[in-house]
Amino acid sequence: MSFAIETRDLGYRAGKTFELRDLNLRVPRGAIYGYLGPNGSGKTTTIRLLLGLLRPGAGAITVLGHAIPAEVPRALARTGYVPERPHLYPSLTVEESLRYHAAFFPGWDQRWADELLSRFGLARTVLLSRLSKGETGKLLLLQALAQSPELLVLDEPTDGLDPVVRREVLTALLDYVAQRDATVFISSHLVHELERICDWVGVMDRGRLVAEMPMQSFKNGIKRLRVRGAPALLGDTPFVVLARHFVEGQAETWIVRGWQAPMTQYFEGIGARVQEVIDLDLEEGFVELLSTARTAPRGEG
Amino acid sequence: MFRAILFTQWKWARLPLLLGIVAAFGLPLVVVQPLPSLFAEDAGASLAIEFMASFGPMFPLLATLLGLILAVSAWAADHAGHHVYALSLPLPRWQLVLYRLGSGLTLLALPLLALWFGALLATSIIDLPAGVRAYPSLLGLRFALATLVAFALFFSISAGTTRTAGVVLGTIVGMLLAQWALALVDSDVNLLGTLFDVLFVWPGPLDIFSGRWMLIDV
Amino acid sequence: MFDQIDPRSAVPLYAQIAGRLKVAIASGELRAGAGLPSVRQLAGQLRINPATVVQAYRDLETEGFVEMRQGAGTFVREVAPDRRTRERDREGRRLIRTMLAEARRLGIGAEELRTLLLEELAGGAA
Repeated sequence: MSFAIETRDLGYRAGKTFELRDLNLRVPRGAIYGYLGPNGSGKTTTIRLLLGLLRPGAGAITVLGHAIPAEVPRALARTGYVPERPHLYPSLTVEESLRYHAAFFPGWDQRWADELLSRFGLARTVLLSRLSKGETGKLLLLQALAQSPELLVLDEPTDGLDPVVRREVLTALLDYVAQRDATVFISSHLVHELERICDWVGVMDRGRLVAEMPMQSFKNGIKRLRVRGAPALLGDTPFVVLARHFVEGQAETWIVRGWQAPMTQYFEGIGARVQEVIDLDLEEGFVELLSTARTAPRGEG
Repeated sequence: MFRAILFTQWKWARLPLLLGIVAAFGLPLVVVQPLPSLFAEDAGASLAIEFMASFGPMFPLLATLLGLILAVSAWAADHAGHHVYALSLPLPRWQLVLYRLGSGLTLLALPLLALWFGALLATSIIDLPAGVRAYPSLLGLRFALATLVAFALFFSISAGTTRTAGVVLGTIVGMLLAQWALALVDSDVNLLGTLFDVLFVWPGPLDIFSGRWMLIDV
Repeated sequence: MFDQIDPRSAVPLYAQIAGRLKVAIASGELRAGAGLPSVRQLAGQLRINPATVVQAYRDLETEGFVEMRQGAGTFVREVAPDRRTRERDREGRRLIRTMLAEARRLGIGAEELRTLLLEELAGGAA
């Protein structure tokens, strides 16, 4: 199995408060990988490390088979990047900016760029500093797509955009992915948006990767159970109990991970009964996962 | 790639650059205007040379300004975006620096040529008395060297991070403060004077800026 | 046709899409020979991963509902009438099971439910 992005024991420290530790990411080729996490969990830092904008303190990074940071230019030539904040030159017009960008990428596809320009309704002669937030977002994605990348690294690409623009941007992205077998690494805190399009998820919290798995196992594995008559102390469970909530006189609520339907038998064994098994959507699963990741005892210091 | 980079730098610097070209072409022409009437007087030649000398500092000043503007405008946009764009382009950092340097030098060629042509034109339209000679090409060459030194200096400062620029400024301020402190304790040490000598007197790197800048001399 | 697709459901998206298409084929909404939207179109329209659409189409192909012709697209195949009936029944059962589960949660008994259902059916016929 080859990975579009792979990190081994990646570490990075910024100041006294923030640290990225033992990060082991594996993004399969062809995946649309959603990189989730609350603000400040280390998503942007990871992306900057992947693209060689920051130098890792420890560990190794490979992007499209190229070692980072040693072979950054070669990796960047095959990677489209949309940063968190617009980074293009505001004193250039749309046309000039496209021409500048095109000069650096041998795979630049002018026809695709022209098509997206008209689809996005961007005027060629407008200065970038005059573009609205939505137009800037569209231009950033346009430039990244028209360079015909094998990998797209998108850092909150739709953050702050209105729903109409968000839809346009995502449609263009998926259109591209459908035509070429590109890998997409997309960070966002808009969980619902990722739920539609991603087939892999990685969840970050406080500089650590707390989960990485296919979207379907993430959604299937985490359930909310309504349980009656369970003892306070449990022995070995065939699943992981993430949380137990008691409410006086009512059924208990359990959040479990690694759930499979035949496991209801376990409850008969302990003299309890499962009243209900409730599916969680990505956002609920994400919130539950984070809250348990935080209460769990952390490793050394 | 070079053309794309050259274009951006042209766009960022074009207004001051055009002004610089006009100034470089016009300066020699303006300087020689009073000469015919001066030569008509008795001690005309020495008066003219004195007059030339008083205008001399205009040349290194213009050279410094041109170097500064071209160097700063080459990097200002990248600084504003914290270099994220430049760093996300698929070429090594040093290569981008070379392209930016090359583009700056290409653009600088315009005012340098303008000054040379201006000097040639200015010296061709006036009649010189015996014993006085014109040095248009020498002045043009000297102006070119001074501009390139200024450009290289400011380019290397502004190509670095904001911190580098801060260190340079901080050093200068620090030296001024040290000199002021030394003056308070009546010390004879002249830090700034020494520094000035080291930099501006041969073989100091900035020697080119000092001395006499003469279009017309004996 | 895909209004009911819910990315937040625990039922995988590809299964939802394949299920929806099966219903359309079983009911005759999609006739034999009809072309399905291209992967690119459907992914863009629903804003989902193109791989998900591909998986849905592959599943339908394995089950014999559609055929994928190289370069031309995906087309509905002739489906035997008894097979269509079976699909319709299966979908009907699925609806009833969902309703029963909801009713159980609300504590509505079988008798009560039967009465309500008959009333609704009579009202619908009127």
